[in-house]
Amino acid sequence: MSRLHDMGGRFGDGSIPVPRNDKNEVVNFEPTFKYDWHARAWAITLAAGALGEWNIDVSRHYRECLPPKDYINFSYYEKWLAALVNLLIDKDLISLNELKEYVSAAINGTIDNIIEKEIILDERTWLAKDVQKTLGWGGPSIRDVNISPFFNIGDKVITQNYSPNKDITGGHTRLPKYAMGRVGVIHSYNNNHVFPDKNAHSLGENPLPLYTVEFKSSELWGELAESQNDSILLDLWEPYLKSFPN
Amino acid sequence: MSEKKKIADGHYHSHDHAHSHLPSDPELRVKAVETLLLNKGLIDSKTLDELIDTYENRIGPKNGANVVAKAWVDPEYKKRLLIDATSAIRELSYQGRQGENMVVVENTPEIHNIIVCTLCSCYPWPVLGIPPTWYKSDEYRSRTVREPRKVLLEFGLSLDPKIQIKVWDSTAEIRYLVLPMRPKGTEHMAESKLAELVTRNSMIGTGLPKEIK
Repeated sequence: MSRLHDMGGRFGDGSIPVPRNDKNEVVNFEPTFKYDWHARAWAITLAAGALGEWNIDVSRHYRECLPPKDYINFSYYEKWLAALVNLLIDKDLISLNELKEYVSAAINGTIDNIIEKEIILDERTWLAKDVQKTLGWGGPSIRDVNISPFFNIGDKVITQNYSPNKDITGGHTRLPKYAMGRVGVIHSYNNNHVFPDKNAHSLGENPLPLYTVEFKSSELWGELAESQNDSILLDLWEPYLKSFPN
Repeated sequence: MSEKKKIADGHYHSHDHAHSHLPSDPELRVKAVETLLLNKGLIDSKTLDELIDTYENRIGPKNGANVVAKAWVDPEYKKRLLIDATSAIRELSYQGRQGENMVVVENTPEIHNIIVCTLCSCYPWPVLGIPPTWYKSDEYRSRTVREPRKVLLEFGLSLDPKIQIKVWDSTAEIRYLVLPMRPKGTEHMAESKLAELVTRNSMIGTGLPKEIK
């Protein structure tokens, strides 16, 4: 029970698209944005997010909810743009008719003719003078609430063996499929963080204890594990975990 | 029939996904949405320019390289960095969006760390900028947790089987940065010169710092 974005461990993917130079050496540098439209798609997504009509978990869930055939075929920023458009419509920031009108103009090459000269900014609109301040503050997910962690460092735990979102069928969660029903050890406790399984559905922030849990490679991949010694660490909220008897 | 219906998950969804009305050329797609939002006053073009300029020219892996070089020369800073990375990184004025909660993991002769986000593409923006294409690729996201050694080989990194690999899958809002080992023969080098040896990939765990010739 999962969606396509949850791809950790799956088979079938080929080589990593590592950029190389003429001598076939790995190159560290690549432009921040490969194409201008990547930069535009990225920037309008951030700017529209700053309107405050949705949170980061909602936007992640919208990308995950793209129809599977689109999720597979779209490149990274195409997913961002498609999810943004669905959000804009669902939150009534634009209408489908407006969208169709601008799409037609873009296809017909007349879009530059409809750019307004005098634009009245919405009062929620993110202004250039506030960009550095807003980026510098970010959106911390840690919450100062009086909830004590149930587990201690070193405790053995087993993860839920099904998609753990109890409120919504097929709802958002951050427990990947490859780590469901697996035994690990609490590596660290990271205070209380906004719980995405609720927050992605606008059901409140519901901050809960967040742990880093260490899994042996062999626990996740069995005989396929490359080395018995390797491990994988995930950041998991308390409801994803149950005590495992020692 | 109304254009939208409310479904059980608390979201409104169009009967058919709105994005299906977009043109096939992604450039036109972005242009249509951007122009509509600009005309409605919901976004400001100066804000878009400022955002793009910030991440193209000001926030990138050089920030992370400065953090690493400082940790190499200053043991007290390194201690602070490993205990509370968010605060230690803020000492260099790197902070904020997608780096609100930082953890630095240290490579040693026994342990090699590597960072991935299998569910999306979480990445520590204040110290590394916007993730490279390969980091966001399905190939990297799917394979790194299952076969990190094969993945590292594709980056030209062959690790001794005795070295333990720790793969950190960024499933929450904690963002990770790898502190690579200081290359041999750099004892005489100043912090600013050391920073030039720190590659982006060495701070994700898919590479090592440059060797000195």
